[in-house]
Amino acid sequence: MNLHIRLEAAKNALNTLIKQPVATLMTVLALAIVLALPVGLFAALNNLQQLLGHWRDQAQISLFLHQGASAAEVQNLQALLERSTGVVSVRYVGKEAALTEFEHHAGMTAAIQTLGENPLPASFVVELNPLAQSPSALQTLVASWGQQPGVASAQSDLRWVARLQAILALGKRAVWILAGLLAVGAILVMGNTIRLHISQRRDEIDVASLVGATRAFIRRPFLYQGLFQGAVAGMIAWIIVAITVTVLQGPVERLAELYGTRFHLLGLNSGQGLILVAASALLGWLGSRLAVGRHLDHTFS
Amino acid sequence: MIEFINVTKHYPGRHHVLREVNLHLHKGEMALLTGPSGAGKSTLLKLLLRLEDVSRGTLMVNGIDVSTLGRRHIPAYRRRIGVVFQDHKLLMDRDVFSNVALTLQVGGLTGRQIQSRVRAALEKVGLGDRAQDLPAVLSGGEQQRVGIARAIVHTPEILLADEPTGNLDNSLSTEILDLFRDFHHHGATVLVATHDQSQVNRLGLPVFHLEQGRLHTPEEDKA
Repeated sequence: MNLHIRLEAAKNALNTLIKQPVATLMTVLALAIVLALPVGLFAALNNLQQLLGHWRDQAQISLFLHQGASAAEVQNLQALLERSTGVVSVRYVGKEAALTEFEHHAGMTAAIQTLGENPLPASFVVELNPLAQSPSALQTLVASWGQQPGVASAQSDLRWVARLQAILALGKRAVWILAGLLAVGAILVMGNTIRLHISQRRDEIDVASLVGATRAFIRRPFLYQGLFQGAVAGMIAWIIVAITVTVLQGPVERLAELYGTRFHLLGLNSGQGLILVAASALLGWLGSRLAVGRHLDHTFS
Repeated sequence: MIEFINVTKHYPGRHHVLREVNLHLHKGEMALLTGPSGAGKSTLLKLLLRLEDVSRGTLMVNGIDVSTLGRRHIPAYRRRIGVVFQDHKLLMDRDVFSNVALTLQVGGLTGRQIQSRVRAALEKVGLGDRAQDLPAVLSGGEQQRVGIARAIVHTPEILLADEPTGNLDNSLSTEILDLFRDFHHHGATVLVATHDQSQVNRLGLPVFHLEQGRLHTPEEDKA
């Protein structure tokens, strides 16, 4: 296929869009809003995951050691913990340190002193990223640590991790369904727009067909129209999400401060933005293809 | 060469538009197709353009069996034919140049080739200075000449015309039909459907006469 034919079709498509600025703008804005909704929700989910990442210290596992655990066992265990998947940090709490911590937190200095000797075992405090593995994998991991030489018991509460992951999975699934429905909506919007363009240019299509235009020749300008409008709609959707993130940034930061933490909302990065533009262009192209295909089936039948 | 062999065309639930038509037009020949309204002239041309399918029989054009031509091959086949309509079928929102250029764009020519060929075609039909005008500002005769320029710009092997002088007065009809004859002199096979008896008499060309879907050939007329 000659490049100049494609360029001519692209020029033709651009001219058609520019000649009808209001109609083009309305179509592009409608598409952009349709796209901005699921993309905004994806961004919200990403931010939620980021936020939960900040709370990873809540997924804390305590491995209590036998009173007689040897130094080698302790060292081997520490090495094993540090190279395990999802482990953010490993902290060794010796018997004395445990006692000091206990006294400090529980205010039971007098009671401990009556025992005569320190009853608290040494332990490892392991911080896990709750989202690094599935809940069952985390359970298995913690159970295997409990079987290691020198470990007396492992204490963990991973049920909240399971709940968290289930909520996130539900959110993701809901966003995908919404995105799928809205993608169909975007295709229909574009298909309807192109159908109108086709009816406006019916005479041209009929004459072109009479003088020997192929389906591809007739179809091409409409496909470019869909592609261009889809791409522009994707860019506008990207801008809408960026503006929304900017507007929410201040209130979110103030809310985070009230919880004694810092949080910065994330929009789409350039890679995600480009994927959005490409996907949107593809949806525009698909909508056009469906509309023009149906028309050409009629013209060429 | 155009060859209709026992060609019949009928529409479901309707009468036969063409019955057992046999027509032979040799390469480089020019002939007229006459007959009253509804005789089947336009249908015969539509079959030639493959706008309609043959119901029965065989239609050969320059060695191509048009009656069985696959849909994929129809555009390429049509690009070998030029066609002129009574209602011109011009695009009213495009200037004269763009109307004529459409045939060449469809054929995949470059901008430079299109420029020179369209200019030459417009010169040929006497509209060299009207390239930038919109069809709406042209007279009926000028619009028809734009239609002819569009039909001949790619120098087709065959030129078909369906009542090209239907809306024109006698002197304009003479001009238009003389353009077809000029093109025929350059080697094209030309078939013109007309009901203008004065032009038929003036041109003295072979005549195929259609009457109620049946064709009367020049040979039959001589007999």
